[in-house]
This record gives sequence, structure tokens and C-alpha cells, in this order.
Amino acid sequence: MNVLSGLGANTRRTLGAIAMALVLLLLGSLAIEGFGAPFAIRSMLVLATFIAVASIGQTLVVLLGGIDLSIPFVIGFANVVAASLYGDGMAFWLVCFVVALLSMAIGALNGALSSFLRIHPLIVTLGVGTTVQGIVLMWTGGLPTGSAPAYLSEFVSIGGTIGPLPVPWVVPCFAVMAIFVHVMLARTPFGRQVYALGSNPTAAPLALIDPHRIVIVSYALSALFAALAGILLLGFTGSAYGDVGQPYLFQTIAAVVIGGTALVGGRGSLVGTIAGSAVLIELNTFLIGLGLAPSTVQAALGIVILALVSIYGREAHVRTLI
Amino acid sequence: MPSEPALRVEGVSLAHNLPGLDELVHAGEIVGLAGLDGHGQDAFLETLAGLRAPVDGRVLVRHGSAGYVEIDDFRHATRLGIAYLARDRRANGIFPSLSILDNFSMVTLGRDRRFGLISTRARRERFERYRERLSIVAPGGNKPITALSGGNQQKVLLARWLAREPRILLLNDPTRGVDQRTRETLYQAFRDLARQEGMALVVLSSELEEIFRLCDRLLVFREQSLVATFSGADMNSSTVIAAMFGRVA
Amino acid sequence: MTAAAPIAGSTPARSHGIGALLAGRRESAPALVILVVLLIVDLWLNRAWMLPDSWGTIIGLAGPTMAAAIASMPAIMAGRGGIDVSIGPLMGFINIILVKVLAGDLGIDQPWVLVPVALAIGALVGLLNGLLSAVLRIQPIVATLGTYLVLSGVTLSLLPAPEGAAPAWLKTLAGPYSIVPLAGMAAIWLLAKRLTVYDWLMACGSDDRACFTAGVPVTGVRVFAYTLGGLFAGAGGLLLSALLGSADPNVGPTFTLVAISGVALGGVSLAGGRGGFAAAALGAAVIFLLQSTLTYFNVSSFLLHTLYGVILVASVSLNALTGRIAGGSR
Repeated sequence: MNVLSGLGANTRRTLGAIAMALVLLLLGSLAIEGFGAPFAIRSMLVLATFIAVASIGQTLVVLLGGIDLSIPFVIGFANVVAASLYGDGMAFWLVCFVVALLSMAIGALNGALSSFLRIHPLIVTLGVGTTVQGIVLMWTGGLPTGSAPAYLSEFVSIGGTIGPLPVPWVVPCFAVMAIFVHVMLARTPFGRQVYALGSNPTAAPLALIDPHRIVIVSYALSALFAALAGILLLGFTGSAYGDVGQPYLFQTIAAVVIGGTALVGGRGSLVGTIAGSAVLIELNTFLIGLGLAPSTVQAALGIVILALVSIYGREAHVRTLI
Repeated sequence: MPSEPALRVEGVSLAHNLPGLDELVHAGEIVGLAGLDGHGQDAFLETLAGLRAPVDGRVLVRHGSAGYVEIDDFRHATRLGIAYLARDRRANGIFPSLSILDNFSMVTLGRDRRFGLISTRARRERFERYRERLSIVAPGGNKPITALSGGNQQKVLLARWLAREPRILLLNDPTRGVDQRTRETLYQAFRDLARQEGMALVVLSSELEEIFRLCDRLLVFREQSLVATFSGADMNSSTVIAAMFGRVA
Repeated sequence: MTAAAPIAGSTPARSHGIGALLAGRRESAPALVILVVLLIVDLWLNRAWMLPDSWGTIIGLAGPTMAAAIASMPAIMAGRGGIDVSIGPLMGFINIILVKVLAGDLGIDQPWVLVPVALAIGALVGLLNGLLSAVLRIQPIVATLGTYLVLSGVTLSLLPAPEGAAPAWLKTLAGPYSIVPLAGMAAIWLLAKRLTVYDWLMACGSDDRACFTAGVPVTGVRVFAYTLGGLFAGAGGLLLSALLGSADPNVGPTFTLVAISGVALGGVSLAGGRGGFAAAALGAAVIFLLQSTLTYFNVSSFLLHTLYGVILVASVSLNALTGRIAGGSR
């Protein structure tokens, strides 16, 4: 069975991202002392998991040819709302349920506006995201609030263990979830319709695909995964902060693109995005390990992303589209 | 020919202030549509598919014990046994980044589900049947659809709709940009579908030669109206062209 | 009577007095309405705004936002996902180079050095973005995200915290002479409109495949669009430096999203092929007036943020709805 659910170029890009993640791991271990140390690997795993969780939804909407700029705002929203509800004494499972529901409503709004009114998703998600962020800021006054249950912190802690295994529970749980989403994309009618709609939006309705349904569900799922990332980050930092999602705006896009998913839609895979998340964190760790200041790390990251994408993530020339 | 028609067109007009048009299409019949570009034959075919609401009148499909059912929209029409192969396969047909199998199964995704998931094996087996029947030359189902020649892409799209086992097949210029050999295969397939399986076919074509070879009957459109119906010996280039240009033959 | 026909023919074009700037674009109408309403409210609240002496300062306040939106516009108009998210950091980078490096460290503060340097850096970075996205064919949002990270990283490395003072002449660009850079940009745009490349730009934005088949140098046109945007960002860097009066490494990046919002508000289609200078400037002006109005009411910056998001969504939705109704009645 073809595990990568892909075709020629698709598989090649995914494999490119995986190869890049492995090469960086090897290079890092050779060049930097401590890069390959168990603790460093563990922390990279956990941090990459956060990016990967937030990027699942971005992958979905990018496969449709869209983009979701509201992810960081939904992360912040979920982070703050969850902490505050939990702080008020609500049971944590109920908190998660409420946050999931609210986030999916935000995502569905994104999808509905961009699909029914045919507004570019970049603007819709930016506008909706800004509104959500504004509401969160008004609510919290911009200050950290609330708290997280201890077991949530344990669940995502870099030092966490599962019996003899030196990884926190979040890593295997994410792996299971990723398999679920991957199977959903590869082996369910919904998943195939997502690819088809991204591949040719004009032909989709003629092949009995309901574009509105697919778009709305995908954006709702995107927000759901962003909310999940927000809740995980709450456990990681211990208290809520409305701007906790800010780095994830560009990181999710970068992870998706490094993972080989084309922004024009229809091509790509979740496996690639996960590899892309690993590449991002490895690069970051690598550059910090070289002793660079955070600002220099940022500049270098920009150059490396450009270099990586120019190797295997290039778009087709317009002449091939005729 | 069976007594009850598969498709009934009642008083359909394609533009305001035009008289309604009545037409019957029987099972096993191949009806051609022709006209100069933009003179209504496209609109008529799309109306039959439920893709366009007629200005006036209605389209009815014979549906088992329910008798005749009026179609609401495209989705509804396909549930009643209509299949529509759109014009311009690149723009309206294929999903270029997807595989041959994905392209084939897009309107029948539910049929390959085993325990909720799409079984690649069931899907391949289903495709094999149509691959043989339409003699599709394909390297392997997992290759991208764009790896196929235009003619074979068109056959995959036909297979996509045949897989729904429709009773009425609407074809919008099905052999445009297709090589001569593939055309012959398609013509044979269309005839078999009508004669052997009793499917009703409506074929819009921009080539008269094709219509003469395939169709039992031809409807010629001019200025959004049906201006002439031909069949048998009446159906020849001079009469049809005269009708298309609005001249008396 | 022979002259009657041409005159009659030209009348409709003339009757678009204000519309001439907007080239009769329906997409800009909601923004124009909001602009007029906000302007009236602001003038009523702030009587001082009516004094011609204060106009320079007001335009100076709005300048960086407007320049950022105008700079973002050409890349978006070029179509096929074209966008330049590095405009904000580019303006910030130019601010640091002008005020910290040239004026501060090297003591070079003459206008005939700083102005060309600002414009040249802008155009060069724009050119680089154009080469990355059109020639190397990296998806534009990723290509310019790369330059975004590089520019903001380098800016922070050069200057971790705000410091320095802009030369006095530069500060006048936020005061009496604030209209000069914007007028210069408008002049460049009007000049560009007279060139074939402008027609190509609009055509590529609508349908690059057809353009390519017709022999239009699509790649070159896109590179031009990014370079022009970069040049505008250079002017934006001057306006930003003038307004700040110092070198600040943190302000630049914030302009990126504001600029894109402004462009969308003004009615520039993010799918390409539709929009222009006036539309981008209009959208940015709306955002600026919105901020100033709400600030007057002492609204918290948080509420301002919320309203700003709501208005962005509402106005583009309204745009789309009116477009549908207009399209449906045809």
C-alpha cells in the first residue's frame, strides 16, 4: 500500500521534507554538542508537536487552495478561554468541549464567509482573527490569567515520561491523531473531495462535490486544531496569554510549505507538514546552538526557508499551465 | 421503442418571450443537439442536467414507481439517473493533481467504502471493468490523470459517470480534442450504451459528421429556440446547415 | 456639428470627477462611503483638523499606513497568489538604516543621500522579492515571508532597542511637507500607468495564462510589480522615519497586516487584476481615520482592535454582497 497517498511530484516533495528533517538531525548532531542529546531531542519533539498540531488545520485549508491567518488568534483565544473557565472551576473535559465548540464556530464562520461570499480567505481569516484577538484582549486586559490543571502540564512537559519511555504523552497521542487525519485525507470521501476541490474548483461541483460544505468543515477543523494547540500551550506555559499564538502565524505556513504542500491547492500531504514542523524546530535549535542571537536566528531562518523551498517547493512555470 | 419516454421536456423556454419547447427522449435513443455557437443548444443541455433553471417549463425524468419526477437542480438530477459529461475536460472535468483512480471514482466515492474507509482494491476492481470496456490505455491507476492522453482522460471521465449506471447520459461535445481512434471507440461505446443497455443519450456536438454517424434524431437550435428536428434521410448536411443558418433548405 | 460626436463621447469620462481617481471601481465604493463618514465625524470632533496648518501633520500621521498599503498593492495586482508580506519589515529596515546607521553612526544626514538610499534599498529588496517569487518561482507568500524574517532579524541585530534622532529636515516629512513623498508616489504610479507594463500588469493579474500565450513577458511583469512595490516601501520608510523621529526596530513589521487590510478594504482584489493606487490609498486612509476616531473617544486599544477586525470583515462582505446583487441584475 502506498503510505504517502501521493503521486509522483507529491511523494517526492513529502520525501524531500522528511529527508531534510533527517539531514538536519544528522548535521546538528555532528556540528553541535548536545544537539543529539536525549533532552534536546525530547524538547525538539515536544516543540515540533505544537507546531504540527497547529499546522494540521493549515494543511487542510491550503490543500483547498485557501489559507488560515486566524490560527494564531484562535490559539490565543482557546488558551485564554480554557484557562479562565478552568480557573472558574469548570470540569476540564467540559472546558475542552466548550472551547472546541466555540473555536469550530469561529472556523465555520471563516469558511462560510469565504465560500458563500467568495472573499479571499486571507482577508476573511485576518479580519475574523483580529476580531477574536480584540475580544480576548478586552476580556483579559492583555495580562496573563488563569491556570492549567497539573495533569495537562505533565501531559506536555518536556521532562514527562510514559513508563520507561522518555517522552511525554502528548507525542504518542499526536502520532495517533496524525494517523487519523492522514487516513481521513487519504481514505475517506471527504478527504478525496478536499483534494479534488483544491485541484480544480470549477470541476468540483460538476463532480457532485459541495464546495461550501467542504470549505466550511475544513476551516472549522482548522480552528479546532488551533484550539487544541492553544490548550496544549496552556499546559506548557502554565498560565494563559492571549498572544501565545503569535509565532504560529508564519510557522504554520512555513511548516506546510516546507512539507511540500502547494499553496495553490490540491497537492501535498500531512506527513510532509509534520516533517516540515520538525525541520523548523531543528533549524531553530541548530541556529541557536551555533551561538546566534535570537534576531540573527530569525534572519538565518528566513534565508534557510528560502533555500529549502527553492530546492523542492517551486511552483510550475506558467507555460506548463496552458 | 418503449412506450414511456425516459425524459420529458414540457414547455421549456430558454429565454424570455419565447414559446415553450416540448420534447421526449426515449430509452435506447441517441438524440443530437446542434446549432451555431451560443444559439441555445448548450443552454438546453444544461437545462436537462439541472445546471440551469429554465425561464419557463420543466424537465421530468421517469423514476421507477414514482412515475415522472421534475428535476430541481444538478444534484437532484443525478440522483434521478442523469449523468452529465461537461464540455472542456481541462476546465470542467479532470482534477489534474489527482490520480486516475481518484478522477474515476469522484462521483461514486461511497461505493468503495469498507468499514467507512475507501478500499483501494474495491476501487481498482471497479475501474478495471470500465478500463476494459472503454479500452482505456492507462499505465496504472495511481498515476496522475495528466499522464494520460487527452482521449484517455476523456474516457476516464466517461467511466466516472458510467460508474453511476445512469439511465440518461448527457454529453457536451464529448469528442472535442480527441484523436480519431479514440473517437471510434467512444462512438462504439455510445451506440452500445443505447442499443444494449437501453440508455437514453443526448449528444451536443460541434461536428455534424459525428451527429450523422451517431444520432437517431437531431434537434437544431437557432436564437434560443428549437427550429428543426431531423431524422432518417432528412438529416443531411444541407438541410441541417440551412436550419442552423436560418435558411429554407 | 461634426465635433458633437467626440464631445458627447467624452462626457461620461469627465462626469466621473471623483470617480476618475477610482477609475469607476465599484469595489471601492463602500470604503469611500466609510471614508466620507469618518472624515465628517473627525472634522466635527477635531475642529483643529479644519485648519490648513494642521493638514501636514495629519497626512504625516497617516503617511506610513498609506505608503505601506500602496506598496503592497502592485504585487497583489500581479495575480496568481502574488503578495508581499515583507513591506512592513522593509519600511522598518529602511528606518534603521537611515536614522541609526547613516545619520547616527556615520553622520551622513543630507537629504540628497538619504532619500536616494531609502528608495534604492526599497527597490532592491522589492527586486529581490520579485526574483524569488517570479523567477525562482517560490510561492510569493513564502518568498516574502523569507525576506520578512531576514529583514526583521537584521533590523533587530542592528538595533535591539529604539534610539537616535532623525535629521530635522526628515521630520518635516511628518509635518508641513508630508504630502511630498505621497505625491511623489502618485507621480510614479501615474507615470507607470502610461507604460505598456501597466497594461500587462493588469492583464497578468486577470489571466496570466492568456497573457503568456499572447507573448506578454509574465515573469518580467511580476518582477516589475514587486520592484515598484519596494520603491513605494522606500518612500514609506522615509515617512515612517519622519513620523517616529527616531530609529525603532519593532514598529515596521506591524504595518504588514495593516497594509494588506487596507488594500482589501480599498477594493483591490486579492486574486489580482483589479485595483490601483487610489484604491489602496483609500483603504489605508479608512484604517487611519478609524484609528484616530476611536482614539479620540478614548476607546481602549483592545476595543479598537476588535472594531477594526469587525469593520474589515463587514466591509469586504458588503463589497461581495453588492457585487453579487450588481452581477445578478445583469
